[in-house]
Amino acid sequence: MSFYGRAPRLEAGPEPQEPDPSGNGSHPGNGLSDVGEKIPLSGELLATWMGYADVQRRTLEAIQNELTRTSSTVEGATLDLSDRFRELAEKAMQQSERVEQIVSMAGSVSIDGERVPMDQLVTGMQQMIADMITNIVTLSRHAMSMVYLLDDVQKDVSELEKSIGDIDAINRQTNFLALNATIEASRAGEAGRTFAVVAQEVRHLSRSTGALADRMRSKVTAVVKGVRNGHDILRQIADTDMSPQMLAKERVDKTMESLVDQTNHFQAVLETAATVSSDMSSTISHMVTGMQFQDLTKQRLEAINDSLAIMAEGLNELENRTRVEMPASLGPQVPQEWLDELLGRFKLSEMRQRFVRRLLLEGTALDEHGALDVDAGQDDSSGGDIELF
Amino acid sequence: MDYGIEDKEQETLVRLRGRLTFNDHAKLRALIREMLQNRAKRQVLDLSTLEFVDSAGIGMLLIAREEMANADKQLVLRSAAGQVKRVLTVAQLNKIVTIED
Repeated sequence: MSFYGRAPRLEAGPEPQEPDPSGNGSHPGNGLSDVGEKIPLSGELLATWMGYADVQRRTLEAIQNELTRTSSTVEGATLDLSDRFRELAEKAMQQSERVEQIVSMAGSVSIDGERVPMDQLVTGMQQMIADMITNIVTLSRHAMSMVYLLDDVQKDVSELEKSIGDIDAINRQTNFLALNATIEASRAGEAGRTFAVVAQEVRHLSRSTGALADRMRSKVTAVVKGVRNGHDILRQIADTDMSPQMLAKERVDKTMESLVDQTNHFQAVLETAATVSSDMSSTISHMVTGMQFQDLTKQRLEAINDSLAIMAEGLNELENRTRVEMPASLGPQVPQEWLDELLGRFKLSEMRQRFVRRLLLEGTALDEHGALDVDAGQDDSSGGDIELF
Repeated sequence: MDYGIEDKEQETLVRLRGRLTFNDHAKLRALIREMLQNRAKRQVLDLSTLEFVDSAGIGMLLIAREEMANADKQLVLRSAAGQVKRVLTVAQLNKIVTIED
């Protein structure tokens, strides 16, 4: 039974009741704009419908291909991104651990294999310097006491020298008196003989005293020399001003303070850095979890593809049935304008080329749609290039 | 260094001027003797016009304190400024001698 037989009105030409208001709606191959208008149910209409059906089926197939391609592109990219994010999370975690290590070391230094906290170290060093200054002060005080002591000793020794001089004077006097006594004794003759012996003894005594005074003078001179030398050395020691060294404590204190401040600052910053690294790691882990959206997307796209496959199958079946019923003289009409509009929408050149290949090269339409690459329908790994015409 | 002595009711005020160094040791000894002869119990060294003190000077101040203590007198260091104040501070002399601002 022919399709025409079931619908005899098809051969009746344009509908007399509803004429085409624009007067050109029945022009074959006019494209989409004509679809909504009344077309006389005729061989031409069938041919037009067959043309649409062919193109639509191919379009559906092309869309299915695109969806599959898109789904696998997203899947590949998502897996790659997930891997990289995981790697990033791992590195952030390592970074966090390293920074924590630094933090634990930052506040202390190693001395003879023992960790000493920075503040304790600083206090210890400050105490050492304070002790040193106390020693300087004590030494200065003792040195000045010695200086005063030796000042006195020098004065005493000078007096001693003077006393020895006095002894000399007395001795000279004694010697002179003894000499006179001897002279007087010899004048007295026999009567003075005994006295002369005494006078002689006194002279001996005086000579001994003189010799003793000489020995004393030489010793005292040696003592004086030693004391003066000692005094000079002591003066040099006491005259060495240590106040600049004492004042160096101020500088050391400030330096230590600054060192402690800086260490504390570093520690605080590093602690923040460790926290941030740890946060980053956890955020990245969340991102990896978030990438699971791809699974859902894939399932949806598969569902859509299944629907499209059913639609394409239905269309194909209807097309085949119609073709059987159609007179052999009628061929499908290519909806040229519709095709133009459809293909005009593709701005991605490789996608457009795939559509052109499927719609035109495999179909009956003519190649009027820009440069055709013979490889365009094949998979092409660099498919991401975007080309705007 | 030179100095001026001012006898007050409760204390003897000695104003030191210039630089107190080792070279002043004889002068300072003479000053200590004068201070010992004063009747006041409180012997105050006014250091506001003293510009500099060396480590020997610090030693001499400590000897002065000792001499005063032996004579049952109190030595007070007052109004130190600049280098003198800094040296007194780092030497922690306040632990040994009464220091007033």
